[in-house]
Amino acid sequence: MAGQRNSKAVGVIRLVLAAAVTLLILFPVYWMVVSSLKTQSEMRLAVPTLWPEGFAWENYAEAFRVIPYARYFGNTLIMSVGLIILQLNVALWAAYAFAKGRFWGKELLFLLILAALIVPDQVTFIPIYVMMSNLSWLDTFWALIVPNGASAFGIFLLRQAFKSLNNDVLEAARVDGAGRFALIYKMLLPMALPTVVTLVVLIFISSWNSYFWPLIMTNSSDMRVLTIGIAFLRDSIAGDEAMYFHIIMAASVMAILPIIIVYSLMQKHIVAAMANSTFK
Amino acid sequence: MRMSNKTNTKQAASVRTPASVRNWRTALEKWKDFLFAFPALALLAVFLYYPLGNSFYISFTNWNMTRPDKKFVGIDNYTYLLGHEDFYQSLKITFTYTIMDVVLTLVIGLLLALMFNVSSRLYAFMRGIIFMPYYISMVIAAMVFIWIYNGKYGLLNRVVSLFGLDPVEWLINSQTVLPALVVVSVWKGVGFAMILFIAGLRSIPSDYYEAAAIDGANRWMLFRYITLPLLSPMTLFLVITTFISSMQVFQSIDIMTNGGPLQSTNAIVYWIYTMAFSQFRTGRASALIMIFFVIILLLTALQWLISRKKVHYEG
Repeated sequence: MAGQRNSKAVGVIRLVLAAAVTLLILFPVYWMVVSSLKTQSEMRLAVPTLWPEGFAWENYAEAFRVIPYARYFGNTLIMSVGLIILQLNVALWAAYAFAKGRFWGKELLFLLILAALIVPDQVTFIPIYVMMSNLSWLDTFWALIVPNGASAFGIFLLRQAFKSLNNDVLEAARVDGAGRFALIYKMLLPMALPTVVTLVVLIFISSWNSYFWPLIMTNSSDMRVLTIGIAFLRDSIAGDEAMYFHIIMAASVMAILPIIIVYSLMQKHIVAAMANSTFK
Repeated sequence: MRMSNKTNTKQAASVRTPASVRNWRTALEKWKDFLFAFPALALLAVFLYYPLGNSFYISFTNWNMTRPDKKFVGIDNYTYLLGHEDFYQSLKITFTYTIMDVVLTLVIGLLLALMFNVSSRLYAFMRGIIFMPYYISMVIAAMVFIWIYNGKYGLLNRVVSLFGLDPVEWLINSQTVLPALVVVSVWKGVGFAMILFIAGLRSIPSDYYEAAAIDGANRWMLFRYITLPLLSPMTLFLVITTFISSMQVFQSIDIMTNGGPLQSTNAIVYWIYTMAFSQFRTGRASALIMIFFVIILLLTALQWLISRKKVHYEG
């Protein structure tokens, strides 16, 4: 009896501690939102307020005024959608070929794909920059999308999913005269839908957050994506940057909102994919 | 009915097509699967393998991106870098940052995993919040932390002053700037480590614990002699992957410190970037890239070797 009460008390203490840790980790995000709703003078109080005195929504309108925010948002969206379309299709085809296809050198070629996982962007960016410059693709969406068209991680993830699917159904469809595109888009894709959706979400998040690549490949202010735009917004502030941080925070909140929404909806799948796919 | 129709048309087709075309078709049939792998392979060839080789070649030239001439200079770039104090300084900064980042991320990640490994909706919800910063852009994370670290109005100095200490310019002081960068990375990374450690914990069969508990093992002994050793493959995986990604630190430096103060955060990738795009020393930057890449390859090989050895004596 006493032992049971004891373990209950342990459970409560654990929960309180866990909640405190969760709030601590959430705090920077909370602080960003709160700061985005403060006025300039409230940002500079001697004792900071943990809750804004009034909601200064005009900070958000101001963010649209000081930088072409809508344009940057649109650029980020175009880049992300472009990367999703290209990476997903290239990965679907390759995953089909490596999981279900038969051709000479399959295992060896797959190793070449896996090896790409080891090579960071920083190793290849100079020659690609030169290449993009020769093609006159610098400062265009082509340079942001095409060089990253093949995602080794995506191919690996989809190949694992396709491999676990039953071959009999595919053979039956093939005998019925289904072409390879039909096999991929009408059979494999629906059967591996959770993995496909997870991959789309992961591509979206990584392209929405990308910084290094757009920093190298674009230079006009018209082609900036959100991450670059916000970094430049802060750089453009001369003198006391505390004067403008409420606006930077408002710009930041809007920039991570799509990620937070997508993450909240897809969290279960993302966590499962992370826990399963990385450790193999 | 439909079936027989289909076989009829197929037969009819094969009667009509000459043998040469049929051979060509079966040959094509053999290659069709390969054609589906081709776009991926072609993209990687053009945008990964070729640039990799090209970087290697450029590293032996004195190329300056703003000028057209490119002269082969042998290993000059490498001897320059290896003979220069800045190189060892940059390596030291990178490794100091990386080791702090890896140790803190993994230790805190493991503690979080032990704490949050509870099957309930509430705990799942809290785990979701802890994992979330992993997907928040480093640029945005850096912005919030710049504001928290602000010398005059930042929250951190307010908290510090509660303890009667003097305010610190966290990002301008060469003593505090690296730990300040590490904190941002740890904040973003602990959730990922936690999720993977929990996956590792859940793969340990519960009868191991039951058997040991019957033998009179206490909680610490269970942790020390069952949990830790059985988590070691996951720990190794996390050490190497966190190490590799941490060595590539760039965004937070570019946003928060620009390599300063006094070059004290001039980590390798940031140095590569400024060397290539501010000083336009393309050849020398490529040599640094190659050295950096070799370090990463060695780490990956190390992981592979150790994990292979593990499999051997466990099997």
